[in-house]
Amino acid sequence: MADNFLTRVAATIPWKYIIRRTLYCIPVYLGILLLLMLILRVRDPVPAFMGKNATPAEIELKRQEVGLDKPFLAQYGHFVRQLLTFDFSEESWQQKGRTVGEIVGGGLGPTLALTAPALFLTTLISVCVSLIAAWFRGRLTDRLLVFFAVLGMSISFLVYIILGQYLLGYAIRSDGFAPFAISGYQTIEQVGLWSYLTSKWPYYCLLPVLISVIVSMGYDTRFYRAVMVEESQRDYITTARAKGASESRIMFLHLLKNAMIPVITRVSISIPFLITGSFLLEMYFRIPGVGRALITAVNQADFPVVQTIGAVFAVAYLATNLLTDVLYAMVDPRVRLS
Amino acid sequence: MSGSTTTTTTPRQSRVWLKFIKHKPALISLVVIGIYVLAGIAVVCGMITVKDTANAYGAPFQPGFGLSNSPEQRLDDAEWYLNKLRIPLGSIDAKTALGEFPVSDLQAADRSVDELRTALATGDDLLQQLKEVSDLDTTIASGSADGLELQQQIVALEETVAGMLQLQPDVGGLRRWMHLSLGTDRLGRSNFLRAVYSIRVAILVGLVTGIVSVLIGAVLGLAAGYFGGWVDVLITWLYSTFASIPNIVLLILLVYVFREGTIDTAINEATGGLLSTLLGGSRLDSTLIPVYVAFCATFWIGPCRVIRGEAMKLREQEYVQAAQVLGYGNLRILFRHLLPNVSHLMLINFSLLFIGAIKSEVILSFLGLGVTEGTSWGVMISFAKDEVVNGNFWQIGVATSFMFVLVLAFNILSDAMQDILDPKHV
Repeated sequence: MADNFLTRVAATIPWKYIIRRTLYCIPVYLGILLLLMLILRVRDPVPAFMGKNATPAEIELKRQEVGLDKPFLAQYGHFVRQLLTFDFSEESWQQKGRTVGEIVGGGLGPTLALTAPALFLTTLISVCVSLIAAWFRGRLTDRLLVFFAVLGMSISFLVYIILGQYLLGYAIRSDGFAPFAISGYQTIEQVGLWSYLTSKWPYYCLLPVLISVIVSMGYDTRFYRAVMVEESQRDYITTARAKGASESRIMFLHLLKNAMIPVITRVSISIPFLITGSFLLEMYFRIPGVGRALITAVNQADFPVVQTIGAVFAVAYLATNLLTDVLYAMVDPRVRLS
Repeated sequence: MSGSTTTTTTPRQSRVWLKFIKHKPALISLVVIGIYVLAGIAVVCGMITVKDTANAYGAPFQPGFGLSNSPEQRLDDAEWYLNKLRIPLGSIDAKTALGEFPVSDLQAADRSVDELRTALATGDDLLQQLKEVSDLDTTIASGSADGLELQQQIVALEETVAGMLQLQPDVGGLRRWMHLSLGTDRLGRSNFLRAVYSIRVAILVGLVTGIVSVLIGAVLGLAAGYFGGWVDVLITWLYSTFASIPNIVLLILLVYVFREGTIDTAINEATGGLLSTLLGGSRLDSTLIPVYVAFCATFWIGPCRVIRGEAMKLREQEYVQAAQVLGYGNLRILFRHLLPNVSHLMLINFSLLFIGAIKSEVILSFLGLGVTEGTSWGVMISFAKDEVVNGNFWQIGVATSFMFVLVLAFNILSDAMQDILDPKHV
């Protein structure tokens, strides 16, 4: 049975389309790298890094050391070659002795510990709430939900973070009762998997995750509600009603199944951002993730780190775009690939 | 948007207006936005200057709405005023020194220097006595006889301080009350003035970003959708490239490029110092221009994508084909025939971008990359983060409320526009 199912799924994979799209992605990616490298070089990175006290000779020395004295095309070729061979061994300018790969890879764990649960929870809750809103469409419940969604969207992210951190991280603390850390993080390697999952993750990450969920819920709920309302006006819903299907069956089986496509699209759009993470949350809660590494690198003019994070993000972005389109076609036979 | 209008019904345009006028929330939002815009214009005209946002108006951490602090805090407030008076009174030429009293709106009372010095001594004595009471807050809250006596002493202290000060001749009581109506921050600056001044930044950033990005997006999107072929490939490539660089990285990098006058020197060299004459010697990074550039470079993608899709649909419409058959030029078809038919999308996208710009400005300001002169809601919110720990919520509350009302109004307006102008959109 399982084997049968798998072969059936495998048979629907549009290999030709995937190959064509991948080939199309190559010039796009080269273009992204070009643009990224150009933007990074508008303000000369070496003097920016060395500061005002550096002599021209020192700057020139550093420039030769990191290979920024070569013509742009040579630098471009070098960077592309590095990416193709997964060679992330370039040394960070600011953090001596750490390679770019270590910085990005080290940040990935904490970032995902924050963003992946947040995305999952946001989607789950928003879909449920939007189902409720669509069920009570036009009535008080629906209006209230939409109203609160808009209300929530109108407050700045920073305010949620500052107040959340103050109230839940700081103000509710009393002797022996400290459910959430004000800031900080401990990795799995530091505390072990069991202790990480049972006590450290909730302590350090639950509050940022909650804040992130609350912030994104406004947008997601409204979007999903619009999708549900749109779907609930389709003919197949009328047909289902006419043949006597119960309302709950219509809601959960007919409607939800069809509404899954926009949901999948929206979720997969957010996947690349799982990597860069929410730098605001990471900065306020001092979580050593990719987002924070990125902002620190930009602030300190740590050129190789910025360049690499940009390049890695672009790959993730293109890959998820491709994956979404393929999934789309496999889930919904009405979608034609061209 | 298809031509469903027949000769018997009113033209579409006026029906849209009718619908809009009937939409109460949208109308209210429009009025609110109008008030904000007027306030922004007033600030631009110089009603509130940068100096007003930087001056101290009263003791730090004063609550707004005329509320009074806890007894401990009231002592601190009185001490703050006494200290401000002590410096000029201690100098040799006290009369002249008092002429430049450092707190805005206020000046030293019309009394002789000796009288003021005596009052200062009285105030110091009272302050010293009260400071020695260890549990001032709890004693007064208990309402015991001791508490009442302490209460009277505080009032006496405050009266002494008040007796040494008076409003400047051109400042009315109402104006003074307004300045303090929303409290002060930890440097004694008026939250009210700072929040109102920030409207200017919000409106400017929103308007410029919204208009420029929508125009860029519309022109590119229309061209891509209408011409197809290599133009489409090029423009699609351009926006997918821009979209594949993390938004925040692009924003930060673009703002950074302007830092320390890199761009200024380049432009000045190319145009023979045109820029420095235009800006009157100041640098680009002290204006909002880096923020505009960064926002426009990242925000045009959304409208471009939407309008490209719409243009591809419109290209097949009969009226476009008719225009082609009539031999009209491509530019005429693009701007006279297609552009009006995507104007509703431009309007909706404009209001969405307006919100996006205001909210992103807050984040840029938090990173220290946004507003460098004067203030903005973002600057206020990130500045307030250290005050929250001390339990003072006035600054963050004020900045958030000002921003909240404007963003909420825009949210409601864009929803209404979407419902009315583009009902099929999900």
